[in-house]
Amino acid sequence: MNEKIEEVTALIQKQCLWQFFSRSWDREENIEGIMTMTGKILNGDKINLVTPADKAFYSDAKFLAAEIQKKMPWLFELDKSGVLELIEGVKERLLYIAVKKSRNCELNLSNY
Amino acid sequence: MPLKLFCCDECIPERQNHVYIKEEGEDTTQYLPLSNIETIPGSLSERGCSYCGAKLVIGGVIKDCIQMIHGPVGCAYDTWHTKRYPSDNDNFQLKYVWSSDTKEKHIVFGAEKQLKKAIKEAFKEFPKIKRMFVYTTCTTALIGDDPKAVCREVEEELGDVDIFVVECPGFAGVSQSKGHHELNIGWMRDKIGTLEPEIKSEYTINVIGDYNIQGDTYVLQRYFDKMGIQVIAHFTGNVTYDQLRCMHRAKLNVVNCARSAGYIANELKRVYDIPRMDVDTWGFDYIKVALRKIGAFFGLEDKAEEVIADEVAKYEGKLNWYKERLKGKKVCIWTGGPRLWHWTKALEDDLGMEVVAMSSKFGHQEDFEKVIARGRVGTIYIDDGNELEFFEVLDNIHADIIFTGPRVGDLVKKLHIPYINGHAYHNGPYMGFEGAVNMARDMYNGIYSPMWSLAGKDPRVVQEL
Repeated sequence: MNEKIEEVTALIQKQCLWQFFSRSWDREENIEGIMTMTGKILNGDKINLVTPADKAFYSDAKFLAAEIQKKMPWLFELDKSGVLELIEGVKERLLYIAVKKSRNCELNLSNY
Repeated sequence: MPLKLFCCDECIPERQNHVYIKEEGEDTTQYLPLSNIETIPGSLSERGCSYCGAKLVIGGVIKDCIQMIHGPVGCAYDTWHTKRYPSDNDNFQLKYVWSSDTKEKHIVFGAEKQLKKAIKEAFKEFPKIKRMFVYTTCTTALIGDDPKAVCREVEEELGDVDIFVVECPGFAGVSQSKGHHELNIGWMRDKIGTLEPEIKSEYTINVIGDYNIQGDTYVLQRYFDKMGIQVIAHFTGNVTYDQLRCMHRAKLNVVNCARSAGYIANELKRVYDIPRMDVDTWGFDYIKVALRKIGAFFGLEDKAEEVIADEVAKYEGKLNWYKERLKGKKVCIWTGGPRLWHWTKALEDDLGMEVVAMSSKFGHQEDFEKVIARGRVGTIYIDDGNELEFFEVLDNIHADIIFTGPRVGDLVKKLHIPYINGHAYHNGPYMGFEGAVNMARDMYNGIYSPMWSLAGKDPRVVQEL
């Protein structure tokens, strides 16, 4: 699973701008929202888009899920719990790279 | 050692923290160049001033305003006419520039009266124009003029004008980035939400961070028109002052620029609950992703696919022609900030090129996180590069073409390396599908120009032969 997590993380690092928003709070919000939505899409779960933020997460997640399906054939061997494990692992890696260990000095400034 | 000290920087060793060469297996938790800090004495920076960032980059694009620069006349000239952002009202913003033309006596006795006179005179000379930007400059900031008070007086006296003041003198920050920041945050604070737009579609967006360089905005606008999406405001390409006051009524903010463009989107999210979606509008494949994401947000996936199919049919063949000829060519991107991360992978994926060195004038660490995440192993990443460093890079790597500004561009031309204007383009637009082809064509024309084989020859010797 670790290799799979690294593979998806590498894809997101190359493709997705949402991991590098302006501050820790919006990076955390995106990582949680978009990755959770990606998991739902990959697992074929019912998706209920209520808020504008849900719709935005869905838009990014839809693209990401399609990329994972296209580029990572091993995905289809995972059952639902495997997909969730993958998603949680990727969230953790992204939080590590883009938030917890980020060297960006502006991430925790309170003002713009 | 991934952080690199150039030989030319031996006497300014602090520069080592601004240069990084990516190695296999590394990510931005290990190395991230310092950026947005003061230029180190001894390094001849090519950065612009903070006032320039506000006027030349953001405010000066707006098409229906008097742009009044409160300071010596040179500050006006130096931020006028040098960036190609047209408009559909006969390029009003490119034709004119206004200055309060302060002189020594104004610096000694105060320049507010001079500013007021200049503002009223400008409105009188352009009676149809009712909107104005006023910018402070180093001199008028240092003497403590209060342009906001002056502008409120004028607004009261004239009754039908609206003036936005940007107090961001050249020395306010370490680079032009501070000017982007002050204008953007000020506009969010003072102007957004002060006017209601006419809503013509249930699908409404703002495009933040597209400055209509050689018509970029027109390209994007066509796509959104075809999808039935109303753009409330392009911040700030081909836009009016009043359209920008209506940004609070969009349902989605599409962000193509960095940092303070994102800050506007974040504030619109906080105050008005409008989501922020960051996209790449340069790059043949990237624009497909951008349109699909926007389509998915509104449930307009079919419309997005229609636009993509039409554009791909028109431009993919042309792009492939250039790809055959540009594959494997080596590129440097020495521009401002966001274009590094927008372009690096787009050039590699769309055209098979290799980006070997990137330098950012005013990018922040956010920009470097993005560009290093997207960029290649072995590529050199530089913050606030100076000319000697550029020469040293070119001594150590081979580059077939360089995206940079006209000043550095003229330097590299002397080494017989072609350059493309990475700020204002050679023959744009560069955004969207057609833009990707235009960019490829300009690179092809640069690299394959027969001029380079003649440039190194001494014409007297040729004549003798």
